[in-house]
Amino acid sequence: MSESKSEPLDLVRLLLDEKIHVKLRGARELSGKLQAYDSHCNLVLSDAVETIYDTNENNELISRNKTSEILFVRGDSVILVSSPSDE
Amino acid sequence: MSEVEQQQNQSQDQQKPIEISAPSKFIDEITRSKVIVKLYSGEEYHGLLDSIDGYMNITLEETKEFINNKLIKSYGDVFIRGNNVLYISNV
Amino acid sequence: MLFLSFFKTLVDREITVELKNGVEIRGVLKTADQYFNLKLDNVTCINESKFPHLSSVKSIFLRGSTVRYVHLTNNDVDTNLLQDASRRGE
Repeated sequence: MSESKSEPLDLVRLLLDEKIHVKLRGARELSGKLQAYDSHCNLVLSDAVETIYDTNENNELISRNKTSEILFVRGDSVILVSSPSDE
Repeated sequence: MSEVEQQQNQSQDQQKPIEISAPSKFIDEITRSKVIVKLYSGEEYHGLLDSIDGYMNITLEETKEFINNKLIKSYGDVFIRGNNVLYISNV
Repeated sequence: MLFLSFFKTLVDREITVELKNGVEIRGVLKTADQYFNLKLDNVTCINESKFPHLSSVKSIFLRGSTVRYVHLTNNDVDTNLLQDASRRGE
């Protein structure tokens, strides 16, 4: 069964132990080092920084950051996973 | 022959054999070519299709993110979780 | 079942669960199942001023699908173990 034909999750495997960038539902983004993933895109990140985007009362875009030493992310919130270095 | 019948005959005459191929054939054809992936939330990702699976999980290379046709961000390789995908189209 | 095993290793540890509705609950993990339903004891709500309805709750069962994040600390996890298990596709 282990063909060499590439499938999308191979990219996520390559990102293990690398710093990654994740786009999530609810106008959230994460960056951190990928420590674990599965086929649902459940993730564990270390040294994670979450950026939450929102608008204030003047309708201006604002963002705030939250950090976490280790963060488990439930896969159903994930939109996109990328490596951050090439942004 | 009534008008309605004529129309029906006409539309039958026009039915040429259309080649129906499986969606997976389309996927094979567009792999490694430039595609647009649109998400339910409206974002578009333009890039080279690297791979795709049965869940519509997708990886793209040289990806550009567009919101309302405006370039927002450039990525290298991206993985897009399939449940967010509205469509994938070749350009 | 990588992440189920992962949650099993966290039993009896204090964890913080952030739900999709913004509620953050801190408590001691008692059980986890395949859906990542979680049972927590000694519960405190972190943002209680925003969600005062949880102030008297001591123990809680969380449906896995409502979870956005679980916040942990470095000494809760062995990252090498996680990476190896992920590479093996467990």
